[in-house]
Amino acid sequence: MMNDTWQRLKSDRYGMGGLMVVAAFAFIAICVWSGLLGQGWSEVSGNRWESASASHWFGTNLLGQDIFQRTLFGTATAFEVGLIVTLCSTILGALLGALSGWYSNGWLDEVILWIKGVLDSIPFYLFAAAIAYALQGNTWAMHVAMIVTFWTTTARIIRGEVIRIKQREYIEAAQAIGLPDLLIIFRHVLPNTFHILLVQASIVFVAAINTEVILSFLGLGIQDGVSWGLMLAESSQEVLAGHFGNFIAAGSFLFILLMGFNLLADSLQDAVDTRRVIQ
Amino acid sequence: MKTPALSVSNLRIWFESGSNRNHAVDNISFNILPGEATGLVGESGCGKSMTALAILGLLPAAGIKTSCSSIKVNGIEISRLSQAQRRDILGRDIAMIFQQPGTALDPVFTIGSLIGATYRRHFGGSKQVIRQAVCESLESVGFKDPGQIAATYPHQLSGGMRQLAMIAMATICKPAVIIADEPTTSLDSATRSIILQQLARLQKSHQTAVLMISHDLGVIRQNCNQVLVMYCGRLVEKTDSQHLFAHARHPYSAGLVSCIPQINVQQGSSLASIPGQVPTADRLPPGCHFAPRCTRARPVCDEAAPELDDAQGVGVACFRPLS
Amino acid sequence: MTRSYVARRLLYGIPLVLGVTFISFLLMVYFGPDKTYELLGKNPTADQIREVRQALGYDQPFMLRYADYLKQLVTLDLGLSDSSGESVSSILGRTLPISIALVLPGFVLGNIAGLMLGLMAAWYRGKWLDKLIMSASVVGMSVSFLVIIIGLQILLCTPYGLNLFPVRGWQVHDLGSYLYFVTVPTLALVFVTLGYNTRFYRAVMADEIDRDHIRTLRAYGASPFELMFKHVLKNSLIPILTRIMFSIPFVVISGSLLLESYFGIPGIGLVTFNAITSGDQPVLKAVVGLTGVLFVLALTVNDLLYSLVDPRVAKP
Repeated sequence: MMNDTWQRLKSDRYGMGGLMVVAAFAFIAICVWSGLLGQGWSEVSGNRWESASASHWFGTNLLGQDIFQRTLFGTATAFEVGLIVTLCSTILGALLGALSGWYSNGWLDEVILWIKGVLDSIPFYLFAAAIAYALQGNTWAMHVAMIVTFWTTTARIIRGEVIRIKQREYIEAAQAIGLPDLLIIFRHVLPNTFHILLVQASIVFVAAINTEVILSFLGLGIQDGVSWGLMLAESSQEVLAGHFGNFIAAGSFLFILLMGFNLLADSLQDAVDTRRVIQ
Repeated sequence: MKTPALSVSNLRIWFESGSNRNHAVDNISFNILPGEATGLVGESGCGKSMTALAILGLLPAAGIKTSCSSIKVNGIEISRLSQAQRRDILGRDIAMIFQQPGTALDPVFTIGSLIGATYRRHFGGSKQVIRQAVCESLESVGFKDPGQIAATYPHQLSGGMRQLAMIAMATICKPAVIIADEPTTSLDSATRSIILQQLARLQKSHQTAVLMISHDLGVIRQNCNQVLVMYCGRLVEKTDSQHLFAHARHPYSAGLVSCIPQINVQQGSSLASIPGQVPTADRLPPGCHFAPRCTRARPVCDEAAPELDDAQGVGVACFRPLS
Repeated sequence: MTRSYVARRLLYGIPLVLGVTFISFLLMVYFGPDKTYELLGKNPTADQIREVRQALGYDQPFMLRYADYLKQLVTLDLGLSDSSGESVSSILGRTLPISIALVLPGFVLGNIAGLMLGLMAAWYRGKWLDKLIMSASVVGMSVSFLVIIIGLQILLCTPYGLNLFPVRGWQVHDLGSYLYFVTVPTLALVFVTLGYNTRFYRAVMADEIDRDHIRTLRAYGASPFELMFKHVLKNSLIPILTRIMFSIPFVVISGSLLLESYFGIPGIGLVTFNAITSGDQPVLKAVVGLTGVLFVLALTVNDLLYSLVDPRVAKP
């Protein structure tokens, strides 16, 4: 199954292009984490608003910090947010979705559906604001807000899939020999939804990076460190004065990474969509 | 000799993947005279439905190609028409009845508006005229209360009633040709005979030519004068329908006939079946496609494909036909 | 559609409304920051503290405070803003029309354009036009809302671009001034939603085009126009309606939040943005609670619309 998926993915040049872009950015992020790149993001290395030069590829910002260094560091921030949010919300969505689907129409299902309905009813940025307000500026408020709201889509998809899987013969057989429900769910049901989780995770990753930018601009996002969202927020004042460094650097890095991820997510979706292949 | 209502010659349909051409329908030709019914039989997947869609010019373009020397309706060539010209013919001169009455009618429109739209498209007219035509057409397929049926939505009718409504839609423009693709397959046997009787009656009264596609020889026997037997995209036998049941000449046709339960019961033998499986379009054997499953096959059958010679109106594509 | 059906649908919304209001209560009132000391002077006495806590309702039991919050939402008596002292309901009443005027054109245009592009792509599925539209929508989806806003601002509002429209502000008194201030935000909203809308609508339409009944209509000579605009469109109304109804509260709130805080437009989004930055709890809890309730209402209306649109949805 995964092997087939990989083969199909490999034959899609847009998907492979996307994968390479994502891999390149991931490499930058790893280099930043291990101290090889972007370490000079906070030091003042020039005058304010220097234009692009050999020593400052994208110029400097208001404080004279190197925009390129900050952009590289922002890559790591984006991946950190993306990874944490994707991992947590996918796990949460998979677990709750599987329980909901396995006990479909039972009370547990009803409760989980109700929670999903409630969370889906609050506009996201307001929810993020409410959480930030409740946690009083805690660094993790943004992550919590995203995790708490992003799991619902994953859970909805997994619920549907689990209801389908539940009717297969080998699951009925496992039930017939008296295996406990949780064991069946973890050993036999959830592993069969892995390909769906993979696609969904790639979509959540895109959403997380996108959302971080907006939240940081609204002052609800990254508190310390630097992110593309903070750089864009900075640039919103600067562009009127003709300083485009922050905007071009953060905007183009963000665009290329999102584009790569979107292409990858699309072709992953095509690759695991076995129904289409059978047709 | 009368002009055939439908005449198809050298129709080919193939899938193109890279440089490979896999034929789904391979060079078939036939004529149907006005007021006559021709059956097209064969196992599912042998290309029957594709033939129907190709005649109407409706095959989806993705990877599927068609070619033919001509397709004529009432002597008028339709295979070279533009999309817009073809739309004038479809529904008016040649209509189709589909297999699944449950899904073949748009669920969000009433029966009356669907049938009426077909009439308006081709003949126009005021609301009253169209309404009148719809009611007449529904009445002609046996509905006692056409006005009420016209106001219902497809999901409110039973499968058989939906199929009757579909027939009303097919006959409202009094087309020269009706193609019925497995019209009774999804229905129970009581409904089936009503549908078949209505079709036969309309065929007589309007002098319509019917191409009846079915895998069910019972249906063919009840309604058709002529039979075309298809195997793996090729016509293997073309014959008179009564003749087929008594004296099938192609081993495949004979196999099909012997698979009909009641005939076997009369013969007192057990239910026969044809050994082996239908090959897929990309793994067709060279020579006669039926050879690997044929008990009468000889080496020549694996080398060359036998031609169907139907100069006398009947014919068989076999090197060693049954006599 | 009977009255009892409407009543039943509304009844289904009650658990959701309770959930939404409960969460906003929990986050913003119960777990929210203690405002006692903000309201007190230096060195307050124990009596003063008790007085303030009583005024804020902190001494009440949990459920009573929640019930109080519910009552506030129902009666629209939402208290006074911490920062301006104005009553919250009058702030909302004043700013909501501005937000609607701001986002409505972009919302409508974004959906219509997405629908048309989606129809075109679905009709020419697999052809170059489809590929072009779909590639363009992936590009569109990959540009952040913030980048679009800043980019459009540079292009249209500054001397570095065409310099046709105002950088920020909202002095609307007639149609001309409305168009002057609304154009750039509208373009931004259309741009950011178009990619997603086009993909969604194409997927819906492509599904519908494959249906058996569409093939039937083709076999009966229906024109592409009739197929697409009469049959495919009417059959896909349910997902289309659902998407539109679902996205209304989100576009109004999220769209206006960003657009208004960026362009300095005094709508509900700017009020919310200021409440976020200054921690103005009465405003925040009113906005969160009310939009949740509005969303549930939109859901209910959506369900009711289903039975109007599709005869297959049972009418009890």
